[in-house]
Parts: sequence; structure tokens; C-alpha cells
Amino acid sequence: MAMRDLVTGEPSCAVPGTSSSNPLAALTNKILGSSNKAQELKGLPGTSVTVPDASSDFRTEAPLSTIPGSEHEGQQYQPPDVQNSEFLRQVHSVAHGDPAGAWGEIHQPTILPHAPGRGIAPPYAEFEQIYDQSASSLPQPTLDGSPQRVLSSFLHSFVDSGRSGVPFHPAALPMLGLSEGDKQCIRDRSCIMARHIFADKSEEYINTQVNALLHSLDIDSDHRVRGHIRGAYPELEEYWTESQGAMNPRMPHLASKWASEFSQQTEQSDPEAWVNSFEQIHGANGWASEFEQEQTQMTLFGQTGDYMSKMLAMEQTHMLAHTLAQNTDPKFQNSKFLQFVSKMSRGELIVDENQIKPATGSVSSGWADEFQTQHSANPNSWADQFDREELSNGANKWANEFASERILQKVEDQWVSEFSNLHIQDWADEFGQQFNGDVSGEGLADDWADSYGNFLNEQLVSFRKQSDSSRGVYEFSDLNPYVGHPNPLKEGQELFRKGLLSEAVLALEAEVLKNPENTEGWRLLGITHAENDDDQQAIASMMRAQEVDPGNLEVLLALGVSHTNELEREEALKYLYRWLQNHPKYGSLAPPELADSLYYGDIVRLFNEAAQLAPEDADVHIVLGVLHNLSREYDKAIIAFETALKLKPRDYSLWNKLGATQANSSLGADALYAYQQALDLKPNYVRAWANMGISYSNQGMYGESIQYYVRALSMNPKAETVWQYLRTSIELASRHDLFAACDSRNLDILQKEFPL
Amino acid sequence: MPDSSLKSEALLEQMKLHIATNAGKELTKKIGLVYQLNIAPKKMGIDEKVFVVDLKEGKVYEGSYKGKPDATFSFADDDFLAVATGKMNPQMAFIRGKMKIKGSMSAAQKFTPDIFPKPSKL
Repeated sequence: MAMRDLVTGEPSCAVPGTSSSNPLAALTNKILGSSNKAQELKGLPGTSVTVPDASSDFRTEAPLSTIPGSEHEGQQYQPPDVQNSEFLRQVHSVAHGDPAGAWGEIHQPTILPHAPGRGIAPPYAEFEQIYDQSASSLPQPTLDGSPQRVLSSFLHSFVDSGRSGVPFHPAALPMLGLSEGDKQCIRDRSCIMARHIFADKSEEYINTQVNALLHSLDIDSDHRVRGHIRGAYPELEEYWTESQGAMNPRMPHLASKWASEFSQQTEQSDPEAWVNSFEQIHGANGWASEFEQEQTQMTLFGQTGDYMSKMLAMEQTHMLAHTLAQNTDPKFQNSKFLQFVSKMSRGELIVDENQIKPATGSVSSGWADEFQTQHSANPNSWADQFDREELSNGANKWANEFASERILQKVEDQWVSEFSNLHIQDWADEFGQQFNGDVSGEGLADDWADSYGNFLNEQLVSFRKQSDSSRGVYEFSDLNPYVGHPNPLKEGQELFRKGLLSEAVLALEAEVLKNPENTEGWRLLGITHAENDDDQQAIASMMRAQEVDPGNLEVLLALGVSHTNELEREEALKYLYRWLQNHPKYGSLAPPELADSLYYGDIVRLFNEAAQLAPEDADVHIVLGVLHNLSREYDKAIIAFETALKLKPRDYSLWNKLGATQANSSLGADALYAYQQALDLKPNYVRAWANMGISYSNQGMYGESIQYYVRALSMNPKAETVWQYLRTSIELASRHDLFAACDSRNLDILQKEFPL
Repeated sequence: MPDSSLKSEALLEQMKLHIATNAGKELTKKIGLVYQLNIAPKKMGIDEKVFVVDLKEGKVYEGSYKGKPDATFSFADDDFLAVATGKMNPQMAFIRGKMKIKGSMSAAQKFTPDIFPKPSKL
């Protein structure tokens, strides 16, 4: 809502000079308008909600230029979420007070009201409202001589009555032949619109007006009609809500966060400035042309999609659906998994994806398709995108995201063909057999069905991981306060020294953005990530450091260690050997021809020679220790690290290496001692805290392990692996009550339950 | 040093040591089933290495099980690791076709990330 207010120049936030040529206005309307595709979401749980023929309506949407200030304005402008009706209510309640006060009050973080008469949980309800309402903000196509025209002019007269302040009188209308979906649309819309138009009137007045309108159109004004339809499937709702909650833990906060961000924006500058600055950065046309490029790429991709493989997938899923349908468990029958499979077998899902047609039409309709595709494919992505949008600074970011979403589609596509290659028949048979033959585990069907709910989400997550870190691409944080800092390297070093690792990461990221050729920046960033228990980011930054300075010993060792942690043996060997090659003292030991075919035995032999050459060099022993870890000769590794520790007793990372080796060879108690040494030397050493948790967990002391995991996460909430481990420990400690806190990443609750 | 570079092997090596500890013995008491794992380096079914995780006797070794395991799983290397470390849950792996199961479903249900030790980081 806020965005549209801002750009379209609604009364609450007037922006003089924002004309229809404002690309942002167009953009906003596109975003908010096109979100109606989410209506299809409601189809998922199997309820028989009538979805208005959104796609065809959408194509015929009024041109962009009609949006702000035109006669369609009343219809176009729709508050797209609950917060807005709350907003309007508040405006209404303070209508006679001073406007500034009202503004402030409105932007207090408001508690979202539950949607009355709907048996669904608030987080989802809220989103559904957005969908509903923006769906209903479809402009009526003005077709000649049709009932639509009658309806349109009728609705206009309603809007006009609001402007002139004349009460609206019911009028007799010819039969319009409205479908249930249309009626629902009008009902929802007119209620909201009325609130808007008659913001200065009383609630009763609004109701009377709306009733008059609805009565004329022969629409039942009972809002609970819809609630009733939903009520018929309480179990499904539960499922759906549950999975929505699990999939989007951040959703509940979304709207209020957004609102507060918006209020910050308005405090800082007047809205016009924002619009101007946007235009300055991107140019009025820059964004559009960028978008067009994307579009062309999209088209190319669409053509390459293998239609045959989709048909094949459809065929095979059909068989799978048949097998699954034999299962009589009602819960399973209603499950999303089955819905999905049968949808796919009917071709609905694939056909949706095929809608990526050659974009011969306007760019905007291409975008609509894109949006729809995104939606039907990944209900989550919209929310996700919004969430990230909120964190990002500008539309540029948004464009990037658009590009990456496009890649995501490719993944989706791959998945389809992968799916079709799976010999579904076998799979289906197997599944059916196991299901009917051996259902001794209780709630089996539920488990399997439920986990489908996480499927799309997981795909997103794993895609992101796969696309960025493991390919060695460094992933920068959004919103870095250190960008623009005069000396971020010094700041980063200072923060690192103080043990504020997550903060140091930000400062060092600012440094490498400023000086991408600075080895030290990348190196320290890598070290910081390693200590913060993120090997993939550590590898990514160390690789950048190595590009700049290929012979840096610390960098090579760090790469060897991180690859060892990721169990990537060959990579690890390669870097450890390069360490030897580049060492001023031992370089002569390493024959260059060996680099082409690295045999573990040869390398260990060389390092042993080096250790004899200089028994006082702790570094050689460290590398030996890492090498023995690679070969899983933990006893030798322990000896090597212990030797190194005699030479460097205050090296906390060395203590941790010893501990980890001991833990990996199931010497848990020894490991705990070593980790404690590390933590005494460096209290904020996230990796050691996490390792402590692992060690306790492996020893079956799950309560303790949770404490340490939580501690590690409180210092670095981005440590994905630790979250996974934490979940396992919670499961093993039989604290199922904490799953929700874990899944929503609520550290406060976890810290309260497991203080350290 | 074994010549194989399966990541899963590193984890199973740790499992071998783990199963001899008290926590490992607890596991055999709790589960008491025999699993066979067929792990392929890249693509499921190709160049598979076979391992047995015997939670009846408390043994982990390479090679096929003499007799009928309660459940047999097929994985690609990375996917086994993802399941064993809790990155991907087994049901999900199955749905995605990343895991094939033969044998008893209830035995397969007990094949969870909990039974594997978590690797510590240097």
C-alpha cells in the first residue's frame, strides 16, 4: 500500500508532479495488480473457491497511462493488504484531529487484526487478503455493448457518489449474469473502496452505501459466505496454514516491518525526493530497457524448453497419481502431494509453465506471464522476494532478483525432466507396495505428505546455495553499514580482534568492495568466515585472495583446511601441495611435475621430510595434521596437532583443530577440553562453540549440545549447518515443542529454554 | 589412504568409530536394524560402493550384507551426505528421487540423520 500511495499520489501522501509517465507508478501497479495470480494458490488445498478468470482479465487490463488520476483511479487504487484497511479505519477515527498526528499514529507498528469469519491463521490470512484484494483490483474491461459496460458505468456512479457526497441510491439494473467469482470480487472490492472513498463518513454510512450497491447488483452482502466454503475443509485449512507457517516463518512480521520501514522513509525525506532519486539513479527508461532485455532472454529460454519431456512427465505422473489414489487414507487423499501429482498428471502444472510464450505482445503482458509462472511454480517466491525486497535498497536489486528468478525457472524445468527420467512406473509401484503392504509406522502417510509441503521451499534454498557459495562465488550481505566507511579494513581488523565476527564480516566486505585487489581484505574475510563456521563463504573469499596473490601461504592453508571440512579431498590436496610449493624453505622439496597427479602418499612423504628439515616449524605440523584428517588417520593427526601446539600454545584455531580431530575419532571428552582451551583464548569463536555442540550431541548429551548450538547461533545466526544440527538435537532431546522456535529461527525462545 | 574420494566414506569412517562409543551402543539398542547403503560418486546406480550400517551388531563396513538387510538405500554421494547431516530430510530425498529404498518401509522410516555422528570442523 505504502508504495502505491507514494507513487500514485493518493490523498494520504500527495506527490505533485507524479504523472502517468512515472515508471515507478507503472511498476507499482503492475506489481500490485499482477499479484492476483496468487489467487491460484487457493486452489491448492483443494477447496472449491471460484477463481475469476484472472489471466484473461489481466491481459485486457487498462493501459498504464490510465492509472494515476484517471477515471479509473477509484478502481485501480486498492489497498493491497489488511494493514491498509486498518490504516483507513485509523484515518477515519482521527479524521477530525490534526493530520500529522494521525499520520504518526498510523505508522506505529500496528497489530494486525484477524480477518473475521475466516478460519485461517493470521499470517496466511493476511497474505490471502492481499491476494484477494489485489485480485479484485482488476479493472473491468470496457467491452462494447456488454453487461460489463453497464456494470462499469454503474460502479462509476457509485464512485462519483462518494466524491460528491451524495448518498448512493440503489438502482434497477438489467440482468448482468455475474458469476460467483465476479460477485465475490465486487463485494470485497466495494467494501474496501467504500472505506476509502467515505473515509470521512461513519461506519454505518459506509455499510449502507455498500449494501445499496450490492443490493442493486443482486449480491449477497454476507461476508461469511466465503468463510463457509472454507469451513467445509477444516482439516485442509489446517494443513495449508501449517505448511504456510513453516514455509514462511518471517511472514508474520512482514507487513509491520514494511510499514515501519516506510515510516522511516517518510521521516527521512519527502516522498517526492525518493521518486526523484529513483529516476536519477535509473533514468526513466533505464529500468524498462533492462526489463526488455530480460524479457528477450526469457523468450529464448521458453523456446528451448523441451515440450516432449514435459508430455512424458505428464504421462508418467498420471500413472503415479493413479497408484497414489488407491490409498484410502483420507488425510493422504487430501494431501498437497496428491494434489500436486494429480495436477501434474492433468497437465495443469506443466501447462502453466509452458505459458512462457514468445513475448510478441507488449512487455507488460510478458511480465504478467512471468509473474504467473513464478506464482504457480513457487507460491513462496513472491513472499520471499518481497521479504528480500524490503531489505534491499533499490530497484536495481530488484531487477537482479528478477534475473535470478528466471534462472530458477530453469531449475524448475530441469526438475520436470529429471522427474520424467525417474521411471515413475517403478517408483509408483514401489511406493504403492510399500504403502499398502507395510504401513506399520503410524502417521506414515502424514509424514510423507507433509514433507511435500517443504519441497518447493527446499528447492529454493538449495538452489540459492548451489548457485552461489559452492561454486565459489562470494555472497555479499545486503545493507552493509560499512560501505562508505573511510577505512573499512582497519575497522574490520579491529572488530575481528574484538571477536565481533559477524560485524567484522560486514566491514571486510566493505573493504573488498572498495579494494577488490586487496589480498589482506579477502584473506581476513575468509578467516573470519571460517571462525564464524561458514566454510563455503570462507572458500569463496579465499579463492578471491588467491587470485590476487597466488602464493600466499596463509590463504593456501586456509583453502586446504576449508576444503577438508567440506570433505572435498582433491581440492584440499591441491591447495596443501601448493602451500609446500610456494614455501620459501620447503619449495625445493616439491617437484613441480607432481602437481599434475597428486597422490596422497607422496604429499605426506614430502611434508614429513619438511618436518625433519625444520622440526620447530609449527606450520608444517599443522599441514600434516590436516593431511592426516583427510586420510582419516586421526591418531596421526592428533599427534601432529599436539606437536604444533607445543610450539604455538596460544593459537586458538590450532586448539580447535585438535578438538575437531579428536571429536571425529570419537574422543569426545578430549575434544571438549581442547575446545575449551580455544574458547578461553577466543571467547567469540563461533566454530568452537558449534563444535562443542557437535561433540555433546555425538556423545548423546543432547540438552548440552542444544545449549552450545544456540550460543553459536546467537553469535552467527547465518550458520546454516548449525541450524540443521540444532534441529536434529532438538528431535533427539524429544523437545518437539521447540521445533517451531527452531524453524522460525527464534533465538530468544531457544536461549530462554537453554541458557548457557 | 583409501583411493576412493567418496565424501560419504569419511562420514562412515567416523560412524565406524562412533558406533563403538556409548552413544553408538545406545543406537543399536534403540534401532536394532541393518541398513545397506549403495553410494554412487555422481549418478545413482553407477559405480556404486556398498556399505553396511549394522545397528543390530554395531558394525559399519564396506561390502554387501550377508543375508537380507532390513532396508537398502541408494544414493549419490552428495545426497547421502545431505541426508546424514540433516541438510535434507529422508522423505524429501525420497520424493525428489534422490534416495531409493528397497525393503521394509518401517525400517526405512527409522533411517534418520540422528544415527550418524556429525563431522566437526577444523
